[in-house]
This record gives sequence, structure tokens and C-alpha cells, in this order.
Amino acid sequence: MSPDRETPVTADPGETPAGAAVDLTAAPEAAADVPPELVAQSLGQYLRAWWLKVRSGDSGVLPVLLAMVVVAVVFQIITPEHAFLRPSNLVYIFGLSTVYMVLAIAETVVLLIAEIDLSVGAIALIGGVIAFKLVQPGAGWPWWAAILAALVCCGVFGALMGTLTARLRIPSFIVTLAGFLLFSGILIVVLGGADGSVNLNTSEFNQRVIYDLVQGVIPPVASWVLLAVLVGASGTATWLRAARRRRQGLVTPPQSVIAIRIVLMALVGAAVVAVCNINRGTALKQVQGVPWVIPIVLVVLAVWTLVLGRTRFGRYLYAVGGNPEAARRAGVSLAGIRTWAFALCSATAGLGGILLGAFFYGQYSTNTADPGQLVLYTVAAAVIGGVSLFGGRGKALHGVLGGLLIGGIAYGVSLLNLGSLSTPLQYILPGAVLLAAVLIDVLSRRGSGSVIRV
Amino acid sequence: MSDVSADSSETPAGATDATMVADLTAAPEAAADVPPELVAQSMSQYLRAWWLRVRGGDSGVLPVVLAIVVVAISFQIANSKFLSAQNLVNLFEQSSIYMLLAIAEIFALLLGEIDLSVGLVMGLGSVVVAELVQPAKANWPWWAAIIVTLLACCAVGAIQGSLVARLRMPSFIVTLGGLLILEGVAIIVLGGGLVGIGNSQYKNELVLYNIFWGSFSPVVSWILLVVVVGAAGTGFWLRDARKRRHGLETPPRSLTALKIVLMVVSGVVLVAICNVNRAHVGTIRGVPYIIPIVLVVLGVSTVLLQRTRFGRYVYAIGGNAEAARRAGVSLPSIRTWCFVLAALISGIAGVLFASWQVSLTTNIIKAANSYVLLAVAAAVIGGTSLFGGRGKTIHGVLGGLVIGGIYNGLYLLGVSSQWIDVVVAAVLLAAAVIDVLSRRGAPAGQK
Repeated sequence: MSPDRETPVTADPGETPAGAAVDLTAAPEAAADVPPELVAQSLGQYLRAWWLKVRSGDSGVLPVLLAMVVVAVVFQIITPEHAFLRPSNLVYIFGLSTVYMVLAIAETVVLLIAEIDLSVGAIALIGGVIAFKLVQPGAGWPWWAAILAALVCCGVFGALMGTLTARLRIPSFIVTLAGFLLFSGILIVVLGGADGSVNLNTSEFNQRVIYDLVQGVIPPVASWVLLAVLVGASGTATWLRAARRRRQGLVTPPQSVIAIRIVLMALVGAAVVAVCNINRGTALKQVQGVPWVIPIVLVVLAVWTLVLGRTRFGRYLYAVGGNPEAARRAGVSLAGIRTWAFALCSATAGLGGILLGAFFYGQYSTNTADPGQLVLYTVAAAVIGGVSLFGGRGKALHGVLGGLLIGGIAYGVSLLNLGSLSTPLQYILPGAVLLAAVLIDVLSRRGSGSVIRV
Repeated sequence: MSDVSADSSETPAGATDATMVADLTAAPEAAADVPPELVAQSMSQYLRAWWLRVRGGDSGVLPVVLAIVVVAISFQIANSKFLSAQNLVNLFEQSSIYMLLAIAEIFALLLGEIDLSVGLVMGLGSVVVAELVQPAKANWPWWAAIIVTLLACCAVGAIQGSLVARLRMPSFIVTLGGLLILEGVAIIVLGGGLVGIGNSQYKNELVLYNIFWGSFSPVVSWILLVVVVGAAGTGFWLRDARKRRHGLETPPRSLTALKIVLMVVSGVVLVAICNVNRAHVGTIRGVPYIIPIVLVVLGVSTVLLQRTRFGRYVYAIGGNAEAARRAGVSLPSIRTWCFVLAALISGIAGVLFASWQVSLTTNIIKAANSYVLLAVAAAVIGGTSLFGGRGKTIHGVLGGLVIGGIYNGLYLLGVSSQWIDVVVAAVLLAAAVIDVLSRRGAPAGQK
């Protein structure tokens, strides 16, 4: 998934020792040097190069995957009746994590340029409330128009904050802290007071569609068909693209690596569909099938992976995050890129808010979610996933994995019988996880970046 | 206010050159060059130099004083109760928390760092002190409870400061994670219930209660004013006289006199306002204890920052950390100490907070978090820079007064809490914009 596969091999990276090249770049994704796993010709070489990269501090998704395994095993052991890994719980965890995953992807965009957006929680809730309000009988918009309008509104809010950060260079955490306060206040106003609420009526078509974004399921058979189509299409595309590149003499990972990737994708997909197709309702009222929210998150992930990895805008984000002065001298409009990053972050966050409301059975009130806690979980999710706070390093996939981990921890804790400790743990846990994630980020940068940091 | 070193006498005393020198230093307080108002020989020269400095972007307390005037006039027009003696004392009392937290925040801001946990350090401190004096539980004497509370807060600051200073984790992330953990710890200490200090049968609870709600009797208030103003005025005068005698640069005599007169006048006005009966039923008169408490914290932290080596190092790090490091300043220890001091002052605010709230619940602890935004806003509105190296503790006090005034005024007008949040956010943004623009106005060398 490296975004730099387009880069043809130039003469000089061949002369650079493969290990050293990785050590020297703060943002390997953005660097012009080719990472060693791209020049590897065989599976063995590829694995060796990958291991070198992990050891030098750029461990990618490895830590978060390990953490997920540890979390799953630990909670499976300590939860009452070993309930953590029940199919119904796994599907619920995915629904619960959706908002963290989408918000973490949004936050990643801003973290990539070494800024931070502390208002994503409040923006997400505003986006959700706007969409929910617009499909109410009074407004009566079609569902797609309501969602679009919510995303545009959130994007405009983000652009305003981005402008203050990008053009006046006010520190982003101050602008977005004020934005957080501002939008939290406006949220209550939009909701209609501190005890206001907005609910979806599932007997009305447009409201039902938004409700079904998270609550709806694809029937089991259709789920398998969808999986086959998706894996088939993306597997073929990956294979053909690699073949084309090899034909044209561009650098490509070895064929075996590509095959392993496709097989892995098929296995993970089959596991997900199999888990989702187990009945998680009762014997009388069966609930089975893949929830719509899974393909929706995959689409968001795919879109952002493409934007970050394959577009000029994405490359500029990494460039600005890696070294803004170098990017500026190369002709990148810093203010423009930064403003767009904030706008797109907020628009994506708005989608997260709509999914959050749907997850809460189409109900929005001031009790639905605390915008402050949302943003903390979000930043923690992104950083745990492997996105650096210091810019230039991170992918959309990291946000998804980090969000899933955070959601899993949050749900696992709620399963435990902790009595009076459960409330304080809701605060302590994300705080500790955030600090641990940043600590790892700082230490891993120290391990890798000591050469370039004076 | 720094002592004039030998080389500064070689600096040309002409107004323009001296102004340029002043403009070029990111932290005039810490700089070895003498600000123009120190070399001024007469009142008019001094005022001219000051005006030049204001126009050069270093406007000091001027904007915040103007803001106080604007807030006072506009709310007085909207509601004639705003400037009543009763409401003004109420406003001071409310603002005292903002003032202390803003002073705490300034210790972090001067370094170019930020401490987002001051609100919850305050929350934790309030819970700890209230729990420790409970007759049914720990039943400690009030002074021991306060000391242990402040030590606990210092420990929190030391941990966060070490993470920031030694591992160089971004301070806003450390304190963001820290505030969450503190929130959980405070709820654990609270034990899910409610803790109150309102039972006047118990002496220790009563003392805590009186810290916020008690006041000196009117006569004692006047005596205290005379003593404080007399001591401070004599101190200023003698110090200036001594400096003049030693041939050091000193502001003109008329200016020292003017400062003392201003101090006397504002003190007299304050005591007169506080001595008006402000109870709805019965009599409550006199200066509340919290006013001298805030003044002591202000005085000690001002001396610490303006007159000690530690203070000069803080400004040096905020102005240019690398230069300070090369000059031999130990960055990790100074940074850690600043976070300890910020937590200590937040702990003092916590004792006040417990006293103010009388009984503490989980919801009140959660609400304590919102104070951090007000503290940052107060510091920045007061004139402290977000980028380090510029600011004084007096800025926190004045900014806290503005924030307190806005809150109090909007509340008097019956504005709902979410709109008050919106207004405070707008004020914080406006302060940040002014901070950025005023830095931009200064010569490029300053950035």
C-alpha cells in the first residue's frame, strides 16, 4: 500500500545502502528514495528489507496488529463468560468503532501536515445533527442531499478553522480548541437546547436509509456474493497493475508478495463475512449478515488511501508534513494545502457523526456522545494506529486499525464487572492509551530520526 | 526591570536606537538590553518611549486594560446591576479561580509549552482536600490537608513535566492524556458520591469553607490595606532610591510616585467596594480572603519570574530554547519546574474551588475541565504570548478579570451557558489572532 510505487527507480537510490536510506528519511512515504522493499526481487529479500525497516523504527501497522491480538486475548480471558469474542459482540464492536475509525482517518489527514484538529468530535456531532434534521418531515430532504449538505457544512467549518491556522499561523490546537468550544455550543443550539433531541423515524424512507447505514444488514447470501465480487475485483486489479508495472520495467514487489496479499485479503474477508453470518439475534428473531457499515468504512478507507497515496494533493500533504520549508520552495502552496486538509478532515468527521447517530439507533441528544471524549479517542486511535504527531508519517489504514483497537478496549471494559471503577476507567484508559501511543511515537522517532535531527 | 549591567551604559540612550533595541528582543524582560523606559530621565520621555514600544507591537497590559473598560461599560449599559458593589465583589470572587489558573498557565506558556490539565489538577486538588478533612474519613487538620493536596498536585506536575521536558513529548498531548487520567483519578477519590465541606460544626470544614466565603471585617480590611500599600510603596520607593544612588538606570521619580498613588487609589476603591454590605439578608461586609490570596500568589510568582535566575532562564528558554541551552541552561529541569509550579498554583486554585463549590460531585469535577480554556484565554487576553518568552503573571490576573467579567455579565443578562461558551471561544480566538498579529507587527528578527 506504499503510496510511492509510481516512482521509477532512478540511478542514485541504487547506490544508497538500503538500510541507511530508510534511516535517513523522517517520512519514508514521502521520500524520493525508494524503500528497500520496493527494490527487493524475491520474497526473502522483501521480508529482510521489511524487518530492517521495522527495526529502524518505521514499524507500520505491526504494533497495532499485535496490540489488537493482545487486547482480544486478554479480554477474552477476563470478561465474564468469556464473552468478548462472541460474534454478536464482534459485530457490535465494529459498529461502536465506526465513529472512531472514520474520525481517526479524518484526524490522520491533519496529523500528516503536523497540525492537530481538536474539534473533530464537535464537528462530527454537528454533521450528524444537520443530516438528521434535514430528513425530518419539516425539512423533508432526500437522504443523499441531507448527507451531502451535512458534509459541506462541516467542510466549511473546517475551512474556516484551516484558514485561521494556515494563513494567520495561529497554532492549530488553539484554533481547534476554540472551535471545539464554539461548535459544542452551536451543537446544543442546533439540537434545540440542552434537553433537545432529534430522532429518526424508521417507517419513513429517507430517515430509514440513514438509520440503515449502520443498523441495516446485507443478507447472508448477498454478503458472500459481495465479498466474492469485491475480493475478485480488487485482487485482479492489484495483480494486473503489478504485472503492468513489471512489464514496463517499474519497481514492483515480488509476485509472491502480491499473491500473499490477495490471499490474506480473501481470508480476512471470508472470516468477517462468516462471523457476521452467524445468527446474533435470538432463535425467533434472527439477525445475520454483514452490516452495511462495514462496506461503508471500507469505501471511506479506499477513497482516503487513494487520495493520500495516488494524488498530487496526497503527495503534497506528506511533503508539507515532512518538511514545510522544502515543500514551499518546491512550489507547494502551504496555505492552500493546509486549508484543504482541515476542510476535508471536517467533512470526513461529519460523515463519522452521521454514522454515530445511526449506531445509536437514530437518536441524537446531548447525551449521545461527549465531543471532548470523542476527540481524545480519535487522536489516540490515529496515533496508536501508527500516525505520527509530528507530521509526514501515517496512512488511512492506520486510523481504521487504531479506531478498531480503541473501540475494542472501550467495549471490553464495559463488559467487565468493575462496579464503581467503570466510570473513572472510561477516562483513565484512553488517557493512558494516548500517552502510551505518543510515547512510542516519540521513542520510535528518536530511534530513526537521530541522524537528521540536530 | 533587570539590573543594568556594565555594557548597557555603552548602549546609545537616544530614543530611536533604544527603541529598536527593545523591539528586537523577544522577551524584553529577560534581555540584557535596557528597555527605553528605563533610560528615560523624565516623565514625558518615559511616556514617549512607552508609546513607541506599544506601537512596535509590545503593548503590554494596554489592550487588556482597554478590554476591561469596554466590558465594564457595555455590560453596565446592558444591565445597571453590573457595576454595583454587590456584583463587583461577586465578580472578583468568580474571577479569582480564572486568575490563579491563568497564572499557572503562564508558567507553561512562557516556555512555549501549554498545560491543558490545569483545570483537572484543580479538580483533583479540590476533591483531595475535601476528602482529607472529612470527620468520618481521614479527619486531618485543615492545614495538613492543604499541604498534602498541594504536594500531590506538585507530583502530578512533576510527572507531566518530566514527560514533556525529558522525553520531549508534545506538551499538549501529555497534558491532554494527563487530564483524562486525572479526571478518572478524581472520580475514584470522590468514590462516586458527594463530598461536602459545608458542615460548620467541624472546625476543619469551616476553615476550608471560609477560605472562599469568609472575609475580613471592614476595619481590618482598612488596616490591612494601609499596611500592604505602605509596605509595598515604601519598598518601591526605597528600591528606586537605592538604585538611583548606585547610579543604576531607574524610572523617573515622578513615575514611581505615580505608580504608588495608583496602587493606593485602586486599593482604596477595592476596599470601599468590598465594605459595602452585599448580603440579601443580614450583613456581609469586608474584603474576602481570596483577594489577598490571589495577590500573594501574584506577588510571589512575579518576584520568581522577574527577579530570580530561574525566572530569567524561563524567559530565555521561551525566547530561544537552543540559545538558552548553549548558554548552559538546563532545559529539562527548568521545564519540569515550570510544570510543577503550574500544578502547584492549580492546586491552590483547587483548594479555593472546593471552598467555592462547598459540595463536590462527579459532574462538578467534569465541569472543572472547561476551566482550562478560560485559563488559556485569560492568559492570552492578558497579553501572554502563546509562542513563549513574552508575558507576566499580572497578565493572568487582568485577563482573568476580563473572562470573569464576560461570564458574570452574560449570566446577569440571562444568556444560556452554551452561548457563553461560544462567546468565550470567540474571545480566545480573538486573543490568539491579536497575539499572532502583534508578533507579526514586530520586526522579523523577533520571529
